[in-house]
Amino acid sequence: MAAVAQPRSPMHLLDPKVLASLSNLELVAKAAVEGFVIGLHRSPKFGFSQEFVEYRAYGEGDDPRYIDWNVYARTDKTYIKRFLGETNSHLMILLDSSASMGYGSQGLTKLQVGKFLGASLAYMASRQHDAVGVMVFADEVLSYRPPASRSGSLQGVIHTLDHAQAQQGTAIAKPMTRFQEHIRRRGLVVVISDFYCDTQELLDNVRPLAVQGQDVILFHLLDPGELAPDIKQSTLFEDMETGHAVEVAPNFMQKEYRERINAHIAGIQKAAQGMNCDHVLINTSDSLDKALHSYLTFREKRG
Amino acid sequence: MSLITPLFLLGLLGIAFPWWLHRLEMQTTEREKFATTRFLEASKKRIHVQRKLKYLLLMALRMAFLALLAFAFARPILFDDPQIVASDDNVHHVIVVDTSFSMHEGTRLQQARELADTILDNMESGDVASLYAASTRITTLSEATDSADEVREQLPALIADNGRLDIGAMIASLNGLLEDSQAAVMLHVISDFQLSGQAVRFADMIPDVINGRPVTLDVQSVVNAATPNAMVESVIIENRNSVSAAVRSFNGELTTGEKQVHLSINGVEQQMLELPATSNGSALVQFNDVVFGEGDNRVDINLTPTDTLADDDIRYTVFDNSPPAPVLLLTPDTSSLGITYLSAALATAPRRYAVEPNAVEDFDPRVLQRYPWLIVEDLGAVNPTLAAALADYVRGGGSVFAALGPRSGSLTSVPVLDIAVSAPLPGRDTVPAAISRIDTSHPALNKSSGWNNVNVHAMKVVPTGDDNILISQGNDTPVLIERNIGAGRFMLYASSLDNSTSDLPVKPVFVSFMAEVAQYLSNEKLLVKAQTADSYLQLIQSGSGSGQVVDPTGKNLLSLQDTTLAQDVLLNLTGYYQVFTAGGEVLVAVNPDSRESDLALMTTETLQNWQASVAGASGNGSTVATDVELAAARTDAGDEIEIWRFFLLLMALLVLAESLLGNRYLNLKTGTY
Repeated sequence: MAAVAQPRSPMHLLDPKVLASLSNLELVAKAAVEGFVIGLHRSPKFGFSQEFVEYRAYGEGDDPRYIDWNVYARTDKTYIKRFLGETNSHLMILLDSSASMGYGSQGLTKLQVGKFLGASLAYMASRQHDAVGVMVFADEVLSYRPPASRSGSLQGVIHTLDHAQAQQGTAIAKPMTRFQEHIRRRGLVVVISDFYCDTQELLDNVRPLAVQGQDVILFHLLDPGELAPDIKQSTLFEDMETGHAVEVAPNFMQKEYRERINAHIAGIQKAAQGMNCDHVLINTSDSLDKALHSYLTFREKRG
Repeated sequence: MSLITPLFLLGLLGIAFPWWLHRLEMQTTEREKFATTRFLEASKKRIHVQRKLKYLLLMALRMAFLALLAFAFARPILFDDPQIVASDDNVHHVIVVDTSFSMHEGTRLQQARELADTILDNMESGDVASLYAASTRITTLSEATDSADEVREQLPALIADNGRLDIGAMIASLNGLLEDSQAAVMLHVISDFQLSGQAVRFADMIPDVINGRPVTLDVQSVVNAATPNAMVESVIIENRNSVSAAVRSFNGELTTGEKQVHLSINGVEQQMLELPATSNGSALVQFNDVVFGEGDNRVDINLTPTDTLADDDIRYTVFDNSPPAPVLLLTPDTSSLGITYLSAALATAPRRYAVEPNAVEDFDPRVLQRYPWLIVEDLGAVNPTLAAALADYVRGGGSVFAALGPRSGSLTSVPVLDIAVSAPLPGRDTVPAAISRIDTSHPALNKSSGWNNVNVHAMKVVPTGDDNILISQGNDTPVLIERNIGAGRFMLYASSLDNSTSDLPVKPVFVSFMAEVAQYLSNEKLLVKAQTADSYLQLIQSGSGSGQVVDPTGKNLLSLQDTTLAQDVLLNLTGYYQVFTAGGEVLVAVNPDSRESDLALMTTETLQNWQASVAGASGNGSTVATDVELAAARTDAGDEIEIWRFFLLLMALLVLAESLLGNRYLNLKTGTY
């Protein structure tokens, strides 16, 4: 009997491998978010409705297209319309593009997954008329776009993400200091990184953001090869950032290494909790579903 | 078999085999990129590393065995000759002092003598020294001797001459002179190290390393900075009454009136002009209305006041103001165009000729003997009597250049040569065949070019075996033929010398062709009248095999016997040399090489590089002669020791060691011991 072809679930679009086959990052973001949204049960909590809710005063960074000119004619003041689901938020995506983000044991690097995630978040925020900005950093700020919700700003953010390349080392202090100098308004800050830095250093640099009133979510990207490495013979590992090489035995990687990496993850998680930030560990072989869910939950929680 | 034989090298490649085998067995460590090594820890040493060390020893034994096998096949030989080892104990001090023209400047030569003296003072016991003067040529003043005083006695013989030093040429000469030296050589070069003396290729300044002998270079300069100098660079004489002199200033410009330029003809000063300011080191002065004497004139241009290198402030030039030599032209028409063309061409030849046209009808054959050569414009106009006279003239040593003009159209055979004419002169409306073959090796044609553009309607003559065809057309029609008759020569141009049947007279090639024909048929050779000091005067160029040469000081350079034998005379003085040959007296002006007047110096870096390169090339005494050099140098020694037997013995020991070590390794691996 001939097999009947089953229609594939839209959720398959969240698989990073599927997304990697799409050449355009904007298309990737759209595919990921649409796939994600279709999979959601309609809920006012996660509303993507365009239903009018209220007017609010126009502020810097708001799209002038949403100014209600009738109200302006009557009151001589600029107001913009707010819809259901809008939170008047600024989303700032901080993407780590250090050399270690170029690691990928299964064909897809952490940086690629980070780009997918960043683009999807930007697309999702853009749909909700949030202003979106991006900063790509390694041991310094490599590119920066301030948050904006104007027409074309999404393409600008995606373009910036798309051009990120894995290079240089990781030093979170300098980029974070620069970022603090630029950020003016309260909003959401998403940090996408493998966080190969000292926990204390992370704490010291993210804490001021929390103090400023920014809502910070840390997407901790790790490859399966980093979380659960499996080597059959003695291997000389070369650090992608420093070039330092270490010959490691299989049994070490099976046991001691895993203990160490888990302790590191736990340390980051603990530090995030201490700053009232969210920490989401992303295995780059998993779908983006978890990450997008985390974002929406986080946004709802803070919004 | 030598160590560079392809078969030996192929055999030597065999040592790669054990390496390959052992590489197959080696455990290699995978190398991978990893995001971070901050959580990694280097593993402990493993057992296989220890085994690998033993393994490498085995591999080394096997490779050594194969290498020895290959060496044994090369049949190496040791030479038991103590001479091949260069001795560092005894040093041969080779003192080379620059005596070129520039050393006339100031006290350069005196300083050079003092530096040479200091080197001799510092000689150690057992050292030897030799002394050479270097200019255009290397002159040995003292052979190698262990007596410093003997060499010191020759220091006064160091005298600056008028030659030019080229360091590349100097090193090449020294290589030959030092071939037999067995000691370590310390080459002391004492010079002003002019930039113009630097060899074009730096490698030419590096002496050869012979027999593994170490060579060390010691450069000692007699000056530290470039010195300004002015010279008369060239003299041009135009229109027989105008003299232009180009003055060159090196390492600084001259201002207007700083120098005066004097013109002297045959020792008598005729004019003096102020030198204008030099621009980019050059200035030009022109003397007009100059009066020359007949024959060779001595034209001196000198600068005053003189500078520290005075000898190049005067320029000697010879100007030949001889009347043109007469050339007889036999023509049927004394107003023909051919006369005009021939007169113009021959007047511009290096040795001017004056054409004397004579009508064939009125010509008295008895005057033929007055001319060394003559031209017949149209052989068709020559009557049998004149033809017979011309044949006698040629047989007696005279030369004739004849053409077949319009009156030759009815000829069936060519007068004098008595060769048949197979076809009449073609009409002008026909297209002439192109010139296809030119014998450029012939003296009358070796400077002529442009014959391919000449259109010639030639009469078809049938040359005999005695005739030499110099130029012919594509249809095998000879255009120019030559025959030696008796002691003279007869050249036939098978067309006319006006432009009725040939456009040769109006082509540029006609001028150079006629000049060469004139020089060839008159048997006149020209001496080069402007020579550079330290070059050779080739007497053969004077047209006579020999002669007497008087130098600028009035001294006869050749003995009576040499006047008949000498071919080349060295022109080592500047000034005028008088050359007396059978052809008469000729003046030759000799000036120093203008490159010697530029007193710019080689840079300190160049001199340092030179010294370092010499040290590098000779290996500072550690150089070992190559097999080929050793073999060539020691073929007479006879004390050869074949060492391949020792190699075999060593190989046997290696096989034993390999077996023991290999067994031990196998036991360890299999665990069956």
